[in-house]
Amino acid sequence: MWDTRYANCNGSLASENTEIAVNIGGVKQVLYADVLNCYPDTRLAELAKHSSDGASDLSELCDDYDARKGEFYFDRDPNIFKCITELYYYGEVHMKKGICPMCFKKEMEFWGVDVDYLDECCRRRLNEVEGELAEIAEKVSAIVNGDENPSASMGKRCQLFLWKLMEKPESSVLARANAILSFLFILLSTVVMCVDTLPELHVYDEGGHEDPTLEYIEIVCIVWFTVEYVLRLASAPNKVRFAFSFMNMVDFLAIMPFYLVLILTHQGTAVTELASVQQAVHALHVMHLARIFKLARHSIGLQMLMHALKSSLKELAMLTVHMGMGIFLFSAVGYAVEQSHPDTLFTSIPQSFWWAIITMTTVGYGDIYPKTTLGRCNTAVSFLCGLITIMLPVHLIMTKFVFLYSKQRLLDIATKHELELLALRSKEKHMARRQKARKPIGPAASVWGGASRVPPSDTYIQLLQDGGRGPPIQICNHN
Amino acid sequence: MYKMDKPSSGMSKVGTRSTASLPPDPVDIIRRMSCCRRVRLNVGGLPHEVLWRTLDRLPRTRLGKLRDCKTHEALMDICDDYNLEDNEYFFDRHPGAFTSILNFYRTGKLHMMEEMCALSFSQELDYWGVDEIYLESCCQARYHQKKEQMNEELRREADTLKDREGEEFDNTCCSEKRKKLWDLLEKPGSSVAAKILAIISILFIVLSTIALSLNTLPELQEIDEFGQSTDNPQLAHVEAVCIAWFTMEYLLRFLSAPNKWKFFKGPLNVIDLLAILPYYVTIFLTESNKSVLQFQNVRRVVQIFRIMRILRILKLARHSTGLQSLGFTLRRSYNELGLLILFLAMGIMIFSSLVFFAEKDEDDTKFKSIPASFWWATITMTTVGYGDIYPKTLLGKIVGGLCCIAGVLVIALPIPIIVNNFSEFYKEQKRQEKAIKRREALERAKRNGSIISMNIRDAFSRGAELLDVVVMEKGEKPQDNHLSPSRWKWSSKRDPSDTSSNRSFNPEQGSPSKARASSPQRLNAQKLEEMYNQMTKTQSQPNLNTKDRSSSRAGGRRDEIELGTLPGQRNDALGGRETVVDMKSLSSIDSYISCATDFQENPRFPYSPAGGLSFPEGSRFSHSLGMGFSARVSANPSLQTTMEHGSMLTPPCSAAKPLDTEGPHQQGVNLVKTRSLRVNYRGCGESSPASGLLSDSSAPSDRSLLSPEVSIYTTASSRTPPKTPEGVALTPTVFTFHDASISRYIDADTDDEEHLRDSCPSDHLLGGLGAKPHLNSGYQGGTNHLEAAQRLLGQNCLFPLGSTPSGSHENHLVLDASGRCKGERSRPKTFDEGL
Repeated sequence: MWDTRYANCNGSLASENTEIAVNIGGVKQVLYADVLNCYPDTRLAELAKHSSDGASDLSELCDDYDARKGEFYFDRDPNIFKCITELYYYGEVHMKKGICPMCFKKEMEFWGVDVDYLDECCRRRLNEVEGELAEIAEKVSAIVNGDENPSASMGKRCQLFLWKLMEKPESSVLARANAILSFLFILLSTVVMCVDTLPELHVYDEGGHEDPTLEYIEIVCIVWFTVEYVLRLASAPNKVRFAFSFMNMVDFLAIMPFYLVLILTHQGTAVTELASVQQAVHALHVMHLARIFKLARHSIGLQMLMHALKSSLKELAMLTVHMGMGIFLFSAVGYAVEQSHPDTLFTSIPQSFWWAIITMTTVGYGDIYPKTTLGRCNTAVSFLCGLITIMLPVHLIMTKFVFLYSKQRLLDIATKHELELLALRSKEKHMARRQKARKPIGPAASVWGGASRVPPSDTYIQLLQDGGRGPPIQICNHN
Repeated sequence: MYKMDKPSSGMSKVGTRSTASLPPDPVDIIRRMSCCRRVRLNVGGLPHEVLWRTLDRLPRTRLGKLRDCKTHEALMDICDDYNLEDNEYFFDRHPGAFTSILNFYRTGKLHMMEEMCALSFSQELDYWGVDEIYLESCCQARYHQKKEQMNEELRREADTLKDREGEEFDNTCCSEKRKKLWDLLEKPGSSVAAKILAIISILFIVLSTIALSLNTLPELQEIDEFGQSTDNPQLAHVEAVCIAWFTMEYLLRFLSAPNKWKFFKGPLNVIDLLAILPYYVTIFLTESNKSVLQFQNVRRVVQIFRIMRILRILKLARHSTGLQSLGFTLRRSYNELGLLILFLAMGIMIFSSLVFFAEKDEDDTKFKSIPASFWWATITMTTVGYGDIYPKTLLGKIVGGLCCIAGVLVIALPIPIIVNNFSEFYKEQKRQEKAIKRREALERAKRNGSIISMNIRDAFSRGAELLDVVVMEKGEKPQDNHLSPSRWKWSSKRDPSDTSSNRSFNPEQGSPSKARASSPQRLNAQKLEEMYNQMTKTQSQPNLNTKDRSSSRAGGRRDEIELGTLPGQRNDALGGRETVVDMKSLSSIDSYISCATDFQENPRFPYSPAGGLSFPEGSRFSHSLGMGFSARVSANPSLQTTMEHGSMLTPPCSAAKPLDTEGPHQQGVNLVKTRSLRVNYRGCGESSPASGLLSDSSAPSDRSLLSPEVSIYTTASSRTPPKTPEGVALTPTVFTFHDASISRYIDADTDDEEHLRDSCPSDHLLGGLGAKPHLNSGYQGGTNHLEAAQRLLGQNCLFPLGSTPSGSHENHLVLDASGRCKGERSRPKTFDEGL
């Protein structure tokens, strides 16, 4: 079978059939050089080439060579190697179940097998894990980035302190207190906004003046929000990115209407007539709503919801399209059917849109309802269809949300441990360096110092010193 | 070939002359290690080959230390077996996890096999000395989540177990009856009567709820003198009966509860109380305020309490696992519930303000303010839609439509998380029920003694902290190794070479094994070996005995006793084993005691009432108590009761009990007492076999290879005949001597507990030791070189024979005794008593 494969890829059956004995971590295997040569970039193919050439630099390729048996020894995992040899026989690599994809990837790199040879089904798993790792790295870098930089100037340190105080409630007690206070202010301002609309509270005294308490509270809240926003802006390392991030837009929208109203009432009366100013003020009142969204800063669940909605725009579009179709269809049918009734509530198709929405979402206010038998049948069908059209995309969004939510918790754990790991490694590095300085060639000077006395070979990976995993460690090195 | 198997590892040091078990020279080890760049690791049968320098990358781990091992002991400390010839090292661990760990050495990345159990993986990491913090991020999250989950499950299981164990009924009045009542009321699964009771209880709850709702029907109500409607008299009777039942139930439960405060706090019992209290409060209020009942506020209070009666529907939760799971789920997923409420609140807030701004300019609008439109938003978002308020403007309708869809979305999102929690919890509850059943079955099996070895293995796999405890307790063990039956067995095997056998008795020989105490794994293995040896010994013994006894005249009678002794010994071994298991697994004195009593009650040992063997059994029992919990012996009253319990079951053991409990602290006075006691029971228990023993003494030379019991009797008899030629008269002497030796031994030991334990192999073992050197000395014409062994033996057996002194012996004895002042002090007393 191999011969036929070999014939396919090389075409010269008659070439020498050298056997190469390899010992992978204790598991011995005999491979044929011509089979290996199908993929000349791989380590084994190079080995085959060099061994036939009789070149001397074999030690670069393998860890040990037993001249007696002619056996090449590799200090690698035999299980993964078995998967990788599949490449030479079948042209594609599959991950064995249970092996961590990252581990597998590293092993593939060692054997010089390109990741592209990994089959699609297994590549997906790899991508998933890589994405996860990237997220963790991002989180870690977000946390580690803020770490003290002793060389910074006084102003920079002040800025950093403020930034931490404002943006990272978990960093200190003060920051936490600040977050709680901010949260309370948001709640208070929201309550004030609601209560303000109660007609009973708008009592005018004899002078025609309102009770100013609510207004004072409102002003205090706005001042707090403003101070907060300005401080954040001042301490932000990147002003432009800060100004355009979603949460800060919300913050800005929450305070902006107040000042606009202030300006309008003071200046606007002079420029335009009173009625239009009043209208504008009323319109701006709606924008007070933005302060509710400020809550999202304090709730991971809400952020998750936003993430889920953002990442499931497709599903939301599907929902809208389905709903729209249903609404059009059923309102038209309902309108047509109900025309036979003399005092029908379905006066027009746009009028019956409302009915369709209320029916399809199973709310059913009862302000519009069908009166003919056919109309009622139509209602039953539209209710069923509505249920299905809503529930299908909702389920998709829901799963996404649950996935995100559980992943969030997973990532939190991972980030925590990653940070611990970072601290441990940097400490060990530090220790190793110090001990090395004290006695240059100390046998087993430290945990990782022991690695320094082995001559670096191919398998020698700078063990845990530059980790190999990208972002977090790099950050570690920066510091 | 230097390959050696585990059992001989301890002995190989001992028999230094036998080349077969000679430990390899350190130089040899180093040479072998350095000759090859690679090393072979065999983990659980799976061979691996790895470069030495790969292992050197983590020098502080187990594998990293392997290279630095220079001696046999150090090697055995790290691996379970090795073969220098092939440069192969064997580890008796799970091979699956090891591949991941070896990859850590190779690549510097610690990954975890996906299907691996997190707990077992963490144990493997502990064993190999790799910190779990090195796990790569991709596997770490999964690992920690799984581990947390497992830990939580285990903790809960432990909690329920503790709850169940907490139901220990103390020895106040009629605990038996209370326990029965408790079972009847609290555990519907325990008996048919309890089940029936539960069903009746459910019926009463349903009945009372129906009555409560019927009461509010206007047709069934009656008008009282104040023009207010009151309860229907028939329904009031039903109500009274139901309440009476509930009250009775509650009171009975309360009375039978083992822990009153905990019972009072329990959520289900709070519900019960809330179900009955309103009734009594209502009665109290109406009776005390009859004159002022027309006042509105009193009536209102009464009304509120009447409504609170509906709480009794929650009583159903007691009878439904599903309802309880629901409660637990809600408690556990408060995070998600909070999320749901937050979503809803935000949605309501946003949409009500929006609809307010959209609708407020409409004439006669119902959206008068934002708080007023909260109601509309709630009803719309939950898609209830009463239709009392609905938007009329186009803008309002758009907002309304959005509100409907957002409501569906927002409510649907956190629900699956809660549902997931519920189903998980429900599954777990079911699993736990099964686990409890399994545990009960296991306990029953353990009691029957069929799966003891499995338990030991279980205990091995427990956490490191438990192992530490064991190590501490085991640390003392090597000191008395020279007395342990396993040693004796080994020495008897090597009997031909006298010196080696003697050396095995040397207390110093315990030290190598003590040195190895640092590795719990090894210690356990050693313990296991010992037990195994003990077991094999007890099994091999009868053959010897019966064969030998077949020629004796009083054969029938003695055979019976020998048979009796055998199970006694096995019992001994069992007792020891149980001790180990329990100390490891639970390390709780309660459970230990229960176990010990179990073993006393054990029906598998029908011979235990027989005098001769109940003594070792009893002493073992009490000794093991002393060993494990010496400090607690006096402090724990329940221990005392169990001991009494044990003695009640095995009456002859009563003699052993005072000896062991009061121990060597009050030697002088106590000794006399115990001895006299012992003599009595010995006398009555074995008077006739003793004569048989005497007759056996005709062939003393054969006895050297015999079982220990035989040898002690032979020794005793061979010496005593000149003094008391008549068999019957001899009996008390023999046993007094024998007894004295034991008590002397106990006296002689200044560090009490461990040596108290040493007395446990008691009669036969010590006797066996005693017998042999004696015979040896006979062979070699008094030139005795038994040295350290004799130190013990002399105290045990030779002292009473001081009346017929043979010079060299005497010398040895005196020397030894002077080394042990206590022994000296008490010697004259026992001596006199014995004779």
